Amino acid sequence: MSAPVGNGVLGRGPFFWAGMALMTMGVIVALGMTGAVEQKPLLLLMLLVPLSLMVPLFVAASRRADASGQGCGKGAAQARYIRRVILFAELYLIAVAAMTYFTKTVETQGVVRVVLALLPGFAIVGVLWAIGRLIVEESDEFMRMLVIRQTLVATAVALCGASIWGFLEAADIVPHLDAYWVVVAWFAGLGAGAVANRIQFGAWGAV
Amino acid sequence: MKNRLKVLRAERDWSQQDLAEQLGVSRQSVNAIETGRYDPSLPLAFRIAGLFALPIEQIFEPEEDVAGRD
Repeated sequence: MSAPVGNGVLGRGPFFWAGMALMTMGVIVALGMTGAVEQKPLLLLMLLVPLSLMVPLFVAASRRADASGQGCGKGAAQARYIRRVILFAELYLIAVAAMTYFTKTVETQGVVRVVLALLPGFAIVGVLWAIGRLIVEESDEFMRMLVIRQTLVATAVALCGASIWGFLEAADIVPHLDAYWVVVAWFAGLGAGAVANRIQFGAWGAV
Repeated sequence: MKNRLKVLRAERDWSQQDLAEQLGVSRQSVNAIETGRYDPSLPLAFRIAGLFALPIEQIFEPEEDVAGRD
């Protein structure tokens, strides 16, 4: 069945935008891992591309949720979740841009430096909070179960990845990765969890 | 768990969306229950039974291996 008019962004659905975000994220990870790009600020700035792609992803997902909700209550919690994620993703973009700009152009020290470094992390905490609220607020037990399954898969992916990478790093086999990559792995795990949901239950869960 | 949800819905000429709206759940939930991929909680099973005005056991029945344990 073709997508209804108004479903998606630029004629593309959420999975197209999710694919684009994952692909660009993969390219950036590859550039960082291979040493093609060594400057961390530049890598962080490049992360703005996949994160910017999250905006059309969530807008498309929101439109799809609205289109399929049709008053049966399905879209309400997910719509709030999407709005919250868009808000914190935008705050993250601003925080990373501010941190990168000020650390590159101004000699930041002390409290200012700490605050600038904390802001992006707090924005990511906001996204994690939004996922937690989705689990609390979702009144549809099946959809809630799908989201919980996604977070369990994501946690497994992130913790397994961190454990294996940590010991490989300790043995000087792989390069050092900053701790926030655990969160990146967790978000990738959410995608894997959605695929697992689709295979087992015929529905994706939350984007 | 097996169920007769699809038959009962068809008898009333309801779509999955119609049933979902009356139950206050998503269409995906109805689909997952109908296809046996998801067993509803007891409260939701009672809501379904109430909607069709039938006892739960006339809508849902355990798989044979589970029923045989008693």
